[in-house]
Amino acid sequence: MDAAAQSHFTGKEAGHAVEKRPWIFTRPTAQTGLISWLTTVDHKRVGLMYGISALIFFLIGGIEALIIRVQLAVPNNTFISHQVYNEMFTMHATTMIFLAVMPLSAAFFNYIMPLQIGARDVAFPRLNGFAFWVFLAGAIILNVGWFVKSGAPDAGWFGYAPLTSKAFSNEFRADMSTDLWVMGLQVLGVSSIVGSMNFIVTIINMRAPGMTMMRVPVFTWMTLIVAFLIILSFPAITIALVELMMDRSFGTNFFEVSNGGLPILWQHLFWVFGHPEVYILILPAMGIVSEILPTFSRKPLFGYPIVVFSGAAIGFLGFGVWSHHMFTTGMGTVATAAFSLATMAIAVPTGVKMFNWIGTMWNGHLQMRTPMMFALGFLWMFMIGGFSGVMHSAAPADAQQQDSYFVVAHFHYVLIGGAVFGLLAGIHYWFPLIFGRQVSEFWGKLSFWIIFVGFNATFFPMHFLGLNGMPRRTAVYDGNMGWNSANMLATIGSFILAIGVGVYFVVMLYTYFKGEKSRRDPWDARTLEWSIPNPPPAYNFAVTPTVHARDAFWYEKHHKEEIAREKLAHAKEDEAHGGVHMPSQSWFPLMTAIGLLTASLFFVNHHMTGAIAGAAILVLGVILWAFEGPGGYHVHPSKDEINDTDGKH
Amino acid sequence: MYAANGVPTALLTLMTASPNLRSHIRRGLIAIAVACLPLLMGGWLSGPQSTFDTKGPVAKAQLDVFYVTLWVTGIIFVIVASVLTYATLKFKARNSADEKAPVPPQGHGNPLIELGLIGASVIALIFIAVPTLHNIWYTYDIPEEEKSSAYEVNAIGYQWWFKFEYPHEEVQLPNNGGTSPLIVANELVIPAGRAVRVNLRTFDVIHSFWVPKLAGKVDMIPNRGNHLWLKADEPGYFWGQCAEYCGESHAVMRFRVIALEEAEFAVWLAKQKQGAAPAFDESKAQPIFAGYTPIENKRNLPGWSSEFDLSPLDSWRTFQQPAASSADRALVEQGRELFRAKNCVTCHVVRGDQPGGAPFAPDLTHIGSRTTIAGGLLENTPQNLHRWLTDPNGVKPGNKMYRGFTGGMSGYVLVDHDTNTITGHNITVNDEEARALVAYLQSLK
Repeated sequence: MDAAAQSHFTGKEAGHAVEKRPWIFTRPTAQTGLISWLTTVDHKRVGLMYGISALIFFLIGGIEALIIRVQLAVPNNTFISHQVYNEMFTMHATTMIFLAVMPLSAAFFNYIMPLQIGARDVAFPRLNGFAFWVFLAGAIILNVGWFVKSGAPDAGWFGYAPLTSKAFSNEFRADMSTDLWVMGLQVLGVSSIVGSMNFIVTIINMRAPGMTMMRVPVFTWMTLIVAFLIILSFPAITIALVELMMDRSFGTNFFEVSNGGLPILWQHLFWVFGHPEVYILILPAMGIVSEILPTFSRKPLFGYPIVVFSGAAIGFLGFGVWSHHMFTTGMGTVATAAFSLATMAIAVPTGVKMFNWIGTMWNGHLQMRTPMMFALGFLWMFMIGGFSGVMHSAAPADAQQQDSYFVVAHFHYVLIGGAVFGLLAGIHYWFPLIFGRQVSEFWGKLSFWIIFVGFNATFFPMHFLGLNGMPRRTAVYDGNMGWNSANMLATIGSFILAIGVGVYFVVMLYTYFKGEKSRRDPWDARTLEWSIPNPPPAYNFAVTPTVHARDAFWYEKHHKEEIAREKLAHAKEDEAHGGVHMPSQSWFPLMTAIGLLTASLFFVNHHMTGAIAGAAILVLGVILWAFEGPGGYHVHPSKDEINDTDGKH
Repeated sequence: MYAANGVPTALLTLMTASPNLRSHIRRGLIAIAVACLPLLMGGWLSGPQSTFDTKGPVAKAQLDVFYVTLWVTGIIFVIVASVLTYATLKFKARNSADEKAPVPPQGHGNPLIELGLIGASVIALIFIAVPTLHNIWYTYDIPEEEKSSAYEVNAIGYQWWFKFEYPHEEVQLPNNGGTSPLIVANELVIPAGRAVRVNLRTFDVIHSFWVPKLAGKVDMIPNRGNHLWLKADEPGYFWGQCAEYCGESHAVMRFRVIALEEAEFAVWLAKQKQGAAPAFDESKAQPIFAGYTPIENKRNLPGWSSEFDLSPLDSWRTFQQPAASSADRALVEQGRELFRAKNCVTCHVVRGDQPGGAPFAPDLTHIGSRTTIAGGLLENTPQNLHRWLTDPNGVKPGNKMYRGFTGGMSGYVLVDHDTNTITGHNITVNDEEARALVAYLQSLK
């Protein structure tokens, strides 16, 4: 399947604005400046916007975490009030999950995945831009609370009914903090589902010729699995959120206890989403680590089919274990036993991945660059988080651990030691590709060690706090409970961790502006994204690559003559079809997202006229988007660009 | 060696070169960590809510399962971590010759090893699964043979305190008001050595009943009948806490469980069943409550004392004795009047002495015999009670006694629920009045 050769648009439009079009459909063509970013459909630019927003929210979420740790540094502290503390832990979790880790993964999906499969963009470029703008809208809605009288959402990231009902969450009649949370998550769900659809279609349809599914890089495989998880799990929370919105805005009784509502229903719907969400957060990092370990071990991934299959098995089993978040809700013996065993079962494919990663290193030549350090950090920390996860799966033990700091320790080992370490490794790994500059090994490793020490000092003591009976989500504790020194250590650790993250980002910023220029393929990597110049040109591949083996670029590097012959032939084919087809920029994804943002904010304020006006903008945006047509234009890479294989650019 | 321009060489040396120095540092750190471990473990796992210091069969069963998981995962951890460490050290490129060495064989895996490891993982999990299943059934309900001797209580969570009902202990209501189950608040007294079934209920939001030394938590969920069982092997005084986030003051929603020998329990029950009347220690002549100095209340001020914690069950026993002296009679009488005048009686019943009360507020019949106030938060001393009565919001922010119920009954303040501003005061308690109320409440043994 040669995606480019089969394009429906080939030959129809040979440049910008050939046909006469009404002014409203004038296509933006700016290549630089603000408009080029607002109207972009380039998957790399969308990826960058996702990444930068995610990192900003990562810092905001981190500051919230530090405020929490300062409050807990000593017993009976008065640094912040109970109310503010509750807002902090609610927003810390919501921000880190939905506004930092998920979009950072989406940034890699957007930027790296099409390059790994040899595609020139995603399947629906305008929809891709839309997904980002809707994400930003959702992020704004969630954070508006900091600037209004209601305050930020304070019912926990899990929003257990009936604490979210008006009777218990509204300090005063116009309190809309919970409405902001409900609306923000719904809007983010739109973004996630739209984005995931796009990734699925892209991976299924737009792989370069020769790239069979069993040759797809593991990171792309994980993208595919995560996209399916999002599509299957977000409807559950969307249903719950819509029901809650109905309860709050229109007086329905899904969760309204006084009228026979069932709060436990919320928990089931939430965790049917919430547990796959855990894998939505961790699988991309597993994918990144599965790219980095082979590259720096200079060996293919050990047991590729089993790693891929384990990822899929984790995703599948992830839908059958949600009630292990509810072992203490009195489900009865049989349900508890079933979910206990299912949860243990999920340890098997997770363990398999671990074995295969070690197998990848075995007999390799390990090059201890910074991405490799973060990947090894991932292995260690994720292993610890995985083992404490097995402890939770044993329901009787979990009865003591549930909602204690033991759980807090567990999921931070999985989500920081796992997901965040993987993502930080990925930033380091792909930085030379994306920005064409090489991060200093010294400073990279220094940031790794500070983060590693700070992370363990923060979260390892929390295991003991939990086993010593300290519950989560508590703004104060008494000094006679034996929790003082562990809490103090955790707080000190959190500041070490913050310094490490600070060093990491300062180094990245410095490298972006002043760093050493990187040669092409600095790591001697194995997958197709490294076969193109850095930073990549807008059209990605001057010639559609042909894939002959699993590590496609590794094969290219070892079969240079064969590849050069193929490239010449394919370049001629591309030219015969009118050149490289590129998608046109568009205003309408942004316009539609602004309509959604406006409608949501007015709706949350119970201002129905404004909500309808916002909805009108949204509908108009969709109509114009449809009638604008996909468009597209062709570019013609020069001979030099086509023949370029040795890193000159 | 990769370049690090402008970086202090000493640091560079430490990070990248000199394997000797690094291994010394590593060994040193490991030695320190190993030496600290017992110290840390001991200090970090012996608190009043430790899940390791179990005092009953349910918590013990849960700890047993935890130990199984700890051993199984611990052994696997040691194996995997050793292999990972070995692979890292053995195969790592140490110099530029290693870096430039020809690529290693491009092996793609070994299905036999992979399947073998999957099999081994499954076997390891079976070791965990068997005791898990056994104890899921054991911890869920009281064993058949103990059911006939079991004791039953109801625990009801409210924002942010616990009500405890004794469904089989009837009390006679005054004025021929019929009978009602015995009701207490925040301190659950149970017979030691007997299985106790705790029915868990709530009428507002979700709470969770957790006494770590006796049993793991089970949630209280509206419109759902949950239960747990526990047993205290010996008499004792146990700390508990709400373990499900339940709103603004969740952190300070605490309670206690006191387990007593049958005889002592029977004495306690008989006393609780009686109506309240101020009790005085006739042997004392000095006034107790006229003399204490109120402490200035600050937010989150601790309310515990190490003297109490030295022997908490004995401390509980002293709380059963009269505290007021005969010289306090006038002050107690004044407090009794104030209890009515300040509308306390609208929500709080003092059975046999102050008719009234509402089901959603703590029963104060024998409040003087409880070791804590404000939902298990503060030790029941005159100074703490004084703080609580004069500045409830500073002790427990958002509590209903202060704020009242949205759109319903007012508490200390009148709140405009449209703008969330305090528009006036419904109840004010000055220092003199608080002193009298303290005297009255603490005399209710």
